[in-house]
Amino acid sequence: MENKLMMKLVIGTEAILFICIMITYVYFALSVGFTTQANHYLDIKITGIYSILLFVSSFTLIQAEKNYAKGEVRKLKTWLGTTILLGGIFLFGQLKEYAKLLTKNFGISLNIFSTNFFTLTGLHAFHVIIGLILLTIMLVLALLGDFDRPNSTILSSIGMYWHFVDIVWILVFTLVYVVPYLSIF
Amino acid sequence: MILTDISIFNPQSASGQTLYQLDIYFIIAASFIMLLVVGLLIYVALKFKAKPTDGEPSQIKGSKKVEVFMIGIPFLMVAFFFYLTVKTMKQVEPSVSNERPTVVITGKQWWWQATYPGTKVVTANEIHVPANRKVLLKLVAADVIHDWWVPSFGPKMDMLPGSVNYLWLNIAKPGVYEGACSEFCGRQHAKMRIRVIAQTEKDYQKWLTKSAKDINPITDSLALAGAAIFQKSSCAACHQIRGTAAVAKVGPDLTHLASRKTILSGTKSNTKENLYAFISNPDAVKPGVNMPRFHFTKAQKEAVVAYLNTLK
Amino acid sequence: MEKFYIPEPDSNLPNANISNNQGLLQWISSVDHKQIGILYLLVGVLFLVLGGIAALLIRIQLAVPENNFLTPEMYNQLFTMHGTTMVFLVMTPIILGFSVYFVPLMIGANDLAFPRMNAFSMWLSLFGGVLLYFSFLAGGAPDAGWFNYAPLNERTYAAGSGIDYYCIGLLLVGLGTVATSINLIVTIVYYRAKGMSMKKLPVFVWMVLVNSFLIVAAFPPLNAALSMLLLDRQLQSHFFNSASGGSPVVWQHLFWGFGHPEVYILILPSFGILSEVFQVYSRKPIFGYNVIVGSGIAIALLAFGVWAHHMFAVGLGNTVYGYFAASSMLIGIPTGIKIFTWIGTMWGGSLRFTTAMLFAMAFLVEFTMGGLSGIAFAIVPIDWQLTDSYFVVAHLHYVFVGGSLFGIFSGLFYWFPKMTGRMIDEKLGKIFFWFFVIGFNLTFFIQHILGIKGMPRRVYTYADIHGYAWMNMLSTIGGFLMGASFLMLFYLLFKSYKSGKIAGNDPWDAYTLEWTIASPPPLKNFETLPHIESYRPFRDIKLAKKDNQNGK
Repeated sequence: MENKLMMKLVIGTEAILFICIMITYVYFALSVGFTTQANHYLDIKITGIYSILLFVSSFTLIQAEKNYAKGEVRKLKTWLGTTILLGGIFLFGQLKEYAKLLTKNFGISLNIFSTNFFTLTGLHAFHVIIGLILLTIMLVLALLGDFDRPNSTILSSIGMYWHFVDIVWILVFTLVYVVPYLSIF
Repeated sequence: MILTDISIFNPQSASGQTLYQLDIYFIIAASFIMLLVVGLLIYVALKFKAKPTDGEPSQIKGSKKVEVFMIGIPFLMVAFFFYLTVKTMKQVEPSVSNERPTVVITGKQWWWQATYPGTKVVTANEIHVPANRKVLLKLVAADVIHDWWVPSFGPKMDMLPGSVNYLWLNIAKPGVYEGACSEFCGRQHAKMRIRVIAQTEKDYQKWLTKSAKDINPITDSLALAGAAIFQKSSCAACHQIRGTAAVAKVGPDLTHLASRKTILSGTKSNTKENLYAFISNPDAVKPGVNMPRFHFTKAQKEAVVAYLNTLK
Repeated sequence: MEKFYIPEPDSNLPNANISNNQGLLQWISSVDHKQIGILYLLVGVLFLVLGGIAALLIRIQLAVPENNFLTPEMYNQLFTMHGTTMVFLVMTPIILGFSVYFVPLMIGANDLAFPRMNAFSMWLSLFGGVLLYFSFLAGGAPDAGWFNYAPLNERTYAAGSGIDYYCIGLLLVGLGTVATSINLIVTIVYYRAKGMSMKKLPVFVWMVLVNSFLIVAAFPPLNAALSMLLLDRQLQSHFFNSASGGSPVVWQHLFWGFGHPEVYILILPSFGILSEVFQVYSRKPIFGYNVIVGSGIAIALLAFGVWAHHMFAVGLGNTVYGYFAASSMLIGIPTGIKIFTWIGTMWGGSLRFTTAMLFAMAFLVEFTMGGLSGIAFAIVPIDWQLTDSYFVVAHLHYVFVGGSLFGIFSGLFYWFPKMTGRMIDEKLGKIFFWFFVIGFNLTFFIQHILGIKGMPRRVYTYADIHGYAWMNMLSTIGGFLMGASFLMLFYLLFKSYKSGKIAGNDPWDAYTLEWTIASPPPLKNFETLPHIESYRPFRDIKLAKKDNQNGK
């Protein structure tokens, strides 16, 4: 229980951090106008596909948790591995997008839009990396046989963090990609 | 002209007067609370000091009645002051629609530039405004945040890079009013003083007409030599003197420098000695100043000072 | 129980009773909450000395008009470091030190929920502080003020690396502070003794709980602002650069979104300490437990809705001002209520004027002063006149020193016997008290007048006009009196620690659980605990014992 409460508090403080950065994003989007640039530089389709993979990873993690509760440690390992794989692919997609943008000379120092874009998505990517590290530690511990007993709250605590990272991405994706895309029509 | 005592309790403008009223109300209320707390504390300390014969005092855990008063009375006081706040705010800062500002004041590191829309007048640090009339100040910043504060005039107002603020001013009587930059703005923040020169309408118009003119032709030979140095030795790269080839706008406009009472944002009086000392080593007089040190000979410096002195 | 997790002191872990001195290594490797609490306090003292020296240098510079003792560059670094140090590296560690030390003891726990995280947080904060001070060696400390306004904090206007150290140092300090707060919340939620429901929690623990939530919620805006600034400075991004669409006002919103709750973060634990002190030395329960806890919660909630009262001169418009004036005045109400509940606690009691009690009573006067000048800043038109003047300097010192620090002193004198096992020299304590009170008021009261007379804050010098000279001289004299009284305090603490009278478990006839065990407490705090019946469990035990003796 202590673990879960701690994780909830960590998520609380992180959520406020994201809210601050997102409010800043919205403020500049309203005062400067990001729509044209967002539509020009960003590719909602490719990023959308990677995003779906990240959302799926939340469901695979739920499967892992369910199997752990049932004591099926082998399935736990499989689902955990799948989750890490999906998260890794998402991160790879982010890196590819960054690389493509940089070749178009779209770097953080270009203008106020690029500043906000890289800060917001970069902060999220940083959280994905932390989530992946945590999940990998879990997998290694599971492979070493540390999770053969049920009733540990560690998996569900880290699970909460991973779901949080996913939910944040839904908001970020909506804000950065979907909103400007929709305003075309 | 008399230098007025600088204090928020010496209001010299319409807004200052309105704010002063509120100050007084607040001081009365605050003193009452302060005396109440101190009085109660002294009473409690004298009355309830432990005596060796004391047993355990009665264990009162609270009193609904007292609690209601404790919450209710502050609520009423707050409501009263909130009403006064909103009322005073409305009185002091009527919104600005499309009026043309009388003066545009730009805060710069570390001096004030004043321009008068509709005229050619540009001046620095000594800001002339008409008394007995409502004037609108437009406040902007060129680099970092500065803050316009003349205590006798009531509200202060920040000057922010990238946005515009306005302030209404209605000065009661002619005089010289002092203030200072009130937002920390770097090394010379301390020496960014303000001097507002309030004049009668007639004097103000006279000043405006005179200040709009270009410089008078120079006849004095020393001053002419100084003018040549000024144009040649990169003074003109930063300063403007209307009627000459110097048109740069980095440093203060010097067209009518000699008619100002003070130099260096009101920190030094405008004398030949002070000008000479400043030109000799700007950083020693005003540490951190953006004006570089030029290596002039004594004769050259005297010529430049003589030239600046002709700029009436 | 899981493998990775050590909720109780374990014999395998390198920690021991603080009286059982095993040298420096033991302190460095300790995960015991009492040792870490003391380390936190020592970190606070270390930086207090540094910040205090900065303050005295500032006062020397301002003693006479047109002084050349410090260059403007040096002066700006010193006042920036003085403010940053006192807020982040003195007050915060000290309140966390008391929290970490006494929360487990007051709720009947043997340690915090995450002892190793506790140690980690403490060392992280210390490291952040050291990094901040390293800037002096790396070409100049930050010099844009403790709230470091944009765009003065940008590379264009602050080319040195000082502000980069400010960003990184404060990020680390903030991380450590948040981690400790999370630790405290989990501990208070899960490790209370049997029967200690939330309504039977000692007021100090309540205030720490509320405060910890405040920290968890308030630091993210600061971290966001610091990260943005670091990006602006290191990667040339555009957050606060108005020339390319950025906005310096965003910095102010984010900073004060943290900065104003921070003010309450520094005062709430002192409120808690005071509530304990007034009860014990008046021999009475707190007057209106629900009111004092409820007002603490109200302050915490309102604290997030008042930040823009630091920005009344920015030109945000009367609608915004009206809202923030209302919220800022409202927050004065729960604060005012507390003052009167404490007077109510003393009323009808049997008062013992120990040094701790004297500080608590002086707090009521000084903090009321600071609170009232604070209300002045909630009244927008008065704020327009006085913000960024010396009046603010006076106000904030009345709140931070007259409020927070007086509360901390009260706690120090109250708990010193518990932490060291020795009584403090009361006679010297009272001399120190009077020196400090006089020095403090001498330094800061006159600054109200300086502000009213138009002296802006943060000026490195001033002309000899309007009586600035004598007022500043007076303030400097007061400052040195305060400095001298700190030396007296260190001597007093050292002497009492070495040769004070042995305290015993319960020298004050106190009410809470920490006084039921030995002084200083053993490594394992509690072997057995009674069932908790009220927020004064130790009094219940003592009463029951007395009743038994009387054969009732």
